[in-house]
Amino acid sequence: MFNDLDPILHSQLRLAVMSLLISVKEAEFTFLKEKTNATAGNLSVQIQKLKDAGYIDVTKQFKDNYPQTICKVTSAGINAFEEYVKNLQTYLRK
Amino acid sequence: MSEQESLALITQMINRAKEAYYSTGLDAIMWGTVIAICSLVRLSEIHFGYRLPFDIYLLTVVAVIPQIFIVIKEKKEKKVKTYDDAFIGYLWLGFGISIFLLILIINNVFNEWGAWTDKYKDIGGESSPHSFYEFVAPLFLMLYGMPTFVTGAACKFKPMLFGGIFCWVCSIAAIYTSIKVDLILTALAAIIAWLIPGILIKIEYGKIKKEQAQLNV
Repeated sequence: MFNDLDPILHSQLRLAVMSLLISVKEAEFTFLKEKTNATAGNLSVQIQKLKDAGYIDVTKQFKDNYPQTICKVTSAGINAFEEYVKNLQTYLRK
Repeated sequence: MSEQESLALITQMINRAKEAYYSTGLDAIMWGTVIAICSLVRLSEIHFGYRLPFDIYLLTVVAVIPQIFIVIKEKKEKKVKTYDDAFIGYLWLGFGISIFLLILIINNVFNEWGAWTDKYKDIGGESSPHSFYEFVAPLFLMLYGMPTFVTGAACKFKPMLFGGIFCWVCSIAAIYTSIKVDLILTALAAIIAWLIPGILIKIEYGKIKKEQAQLNV
């Protein structure tokens, strides 16, 4: 019996963002952009989708007069990620 | 995206996030230099028989001011907060408090010890053959080793890991050596455990900065 993989996470950039955020306490938008090599526009869209799903918290603030976006994984995000990895392992075992 | 590709992507990103912990290395360079200077100046005072108008170890108190600026600068520059950041921060804060307590304890023991050496001089007519400060260096070196070793192990940074072990080796050696050798060992430990790893971190930090600048062009 195989469960469907979470469509929110089963996308290259969103999964990359979640994998980065699961490993750290919180990260700036620029850090995610640098590590995923994504464009700012695409990354913004995917971050918004993760936020809408309740998987990450996004805080916008100013740092030295520049806008700063900080992303942090939520407990719902951690659960979804763990579930995704568990389902992934089930698929790989077949 | 296949299941294998998903798993590979997760692994790749988790490994990239592991590289997120970085420091400017300035604090390690500063403390390595300060402790080495203090030890070598005290050594020259003892060897050449002169005394500076102030206690050279006051330099360690003055060094707290640039340390605060370094912490603020690094905090501002960091694009990511890792779980290691908080752990290592508390580790070195605990080290600072322990050093402060050790100095307090040593000063109190020294005052007690002073009374005994005075009595020895009164009865025997000559100074005690043992100086209290002969026994101080091993305690400090033992304490220097602990956070250095743990930081090196946690960050998988071998120069600091070996630096911590070197402090402990010096701590054992200093039990059996004279105060002059103790001071040389302390200076050496500061250079090997902090100054050299600090320089290596600074070089690495410079490379990261350069790469980031090229990416942003």
